[in-house]
Amino acid sequence: MEPNLGTIARSISIRPNREETGLESLQFREEIHRLMIVPPENGSSFTALLELPETQAMELLHSPHSDKGVTVPLSGVPLHGINDDHKSYLPSFNGNLTFPSNKVLIERAAKFSVFASGEHSPETSSVPSDSSANLEKVKSEPADTDSNPNSSQLLVSDPTVNIKNQRSEKRKEREKKGKGCTKKTKIEISQDAEKLPYVHVRARRGQATDSHSLAERARREKINARMKLLQELVPGCSKISGTALVLDEIINHVQSLQRQVELLSMRLASVNPRIDFNLDSLFAPESGSLVDSNFSSMVSPLLWPEIPFNGNRQQHQQQWNFDALHRPLWGREEDSHTFITMENSLLSYDSANSASLHSNQLKMEL
Amino acid sequence: MNPRRSISSNPASTVKSRFTNGFLQALLRINRQRITSTTAYTPREIFRGYLRVKIAADVSMASAIGSRRAWSRAILRKVRSHGRDGAQVRRMSFLAMRKRNLYGNIKCVEDAGFHQANVLRKLVPGGEAMDMCCLLGETAHYIKCLKTQVKVMGRIAEVFST
Repeated sequence: MEPNLGTIARSISIRPNREETGLESLQFREEIHRLMIVPPENGSSFTALLELPETQAMELLHSPHSDKGVTVPLSGVPLHGINDDHKSYLPSFNGNLTFPSNKVLIERAAKFSVFASGEHSPETSSVPSDSSANLEKVKSEPADTDSNPNSSQLLVSDPTVNIKNQRSEKRKEREKKGKGCTKKTKIEISQDAEKLPYVHVRARRGQATDSHSLAERARREKINARMKLLQELVPGCSKISGTALVLDEIINHVQSLQRQVELLSMRLASVNPRIDFNLDSLFAPESGSLVDSNFSSMVSPLLWPEIPFNGNRQQHQQQWNFDALHRPLWGREEDSHTFITMENSLLSYDSANSASLHSNQLKMEL
Repeated sequence: MNPRRSISSNPASTVKSRFTNGFLQALLRINRQRITSTTAYTPREIFRGYLRVKIAADVSMASAIGSRRAWSRAILRKVRSHGRDGAQVRRMSFLAMRKRNLYGNIKCVEDAGFHQANVLRKLVPGGEAMDMCCLLGETAHYIKCLKTQVKVMGRIAEVFST
């Protein structure tokens, strides 16, 4: 009976105008006649189910309330054309009938079932709701028990999806919902999703839903997200699977970076004394010249002689910096070589004029 | 560096530029110290000089980050209370571990990465008092900043050794 009702639902959708229940029986007959003309496809469409003899179909139509009338065609449905798709096809209609007797839920379920079958939902809402309300007593289907949880979950999930879209959710639940929508796992609902201000949390099928395991699951998911970030940061880590190995790689990477810093600082400590004055001049203004660690841009600030830092020898530095600037800056391209040229110019300057204290110190260094 | 990480709206004040400025200033200070003191070439003096540069690099990096991150706060804390009380430091790490077990994971040994997490905690500054989740986040940020540090210091060394 259910498949036929489904077909009826579909046929009604073809003609959205007539929804009055009074005209339905007439309509059904017309539609079935019309549909019988179409050659049954290879077991996947509703027309295959209309291989039922017409008498049986009429019987069904005229006795929608009796269980007997409902159950008869099911046993008599010729399964040759619809064997494979029978099970897959039925659940979406079983869900209509085995839904709990909440009228609101049934309407929504009807909307969803039609939605699931790809038809237009609003026109058919009235028909399935009536028939499903009447036929929810039907439980003789052997396939019911299998498809029951599936369909009820599938059906209930959509209204909850709608509800959840409308309501404000907590962040943990939002994460889970994102995952639940993308995955095709069966979804259980931990609480009644209808109208409660609770946290709507989705557990995957077969997982516990008490608060402890939920909190743990949220924590684990946070940790997994951060591990993914780390894997992207560390080169060569995305291929490795398994927490321990990934963490080993991360540890190696951190240790190698720290060792590199130590090596470089040793290099700088040994190299440093030679270039004291260079550093002074580099620091003239602290504008945005050091963005790219491209020190050529630092040459332009050297045009300004003020050096805003506190040092004992500030006056001297200003003095010779200003003097030194005159030499190299005409016609030199901005390059790190200017430091060397500055150094040369300073040397020559110092050798020429050894009166200042600072130049003596420079000589000592060199 | 990513300008979104900068504190001010000035695109030049990124973490990298702040670190570079601070580090170069520190190098200057160290050099001035070396000039005033005797230029010693004993291994001990060399090692001390190297230590100063390394600490300067870490401190300038932490200052560039500011107090936003736990590891930078830990570095600045270490420097400010430098050598003040060795026993206090050990006591604090014990308390930190207790705090971590309270708020974080109690059943941590069975987790997949427990032993590695301990090693990581010693590597990342301030990692003792963090649960696994925060530790991973701090490690990610720390790795990023270490990369910047290596790049900038390499460039400085390049410039100064030509």
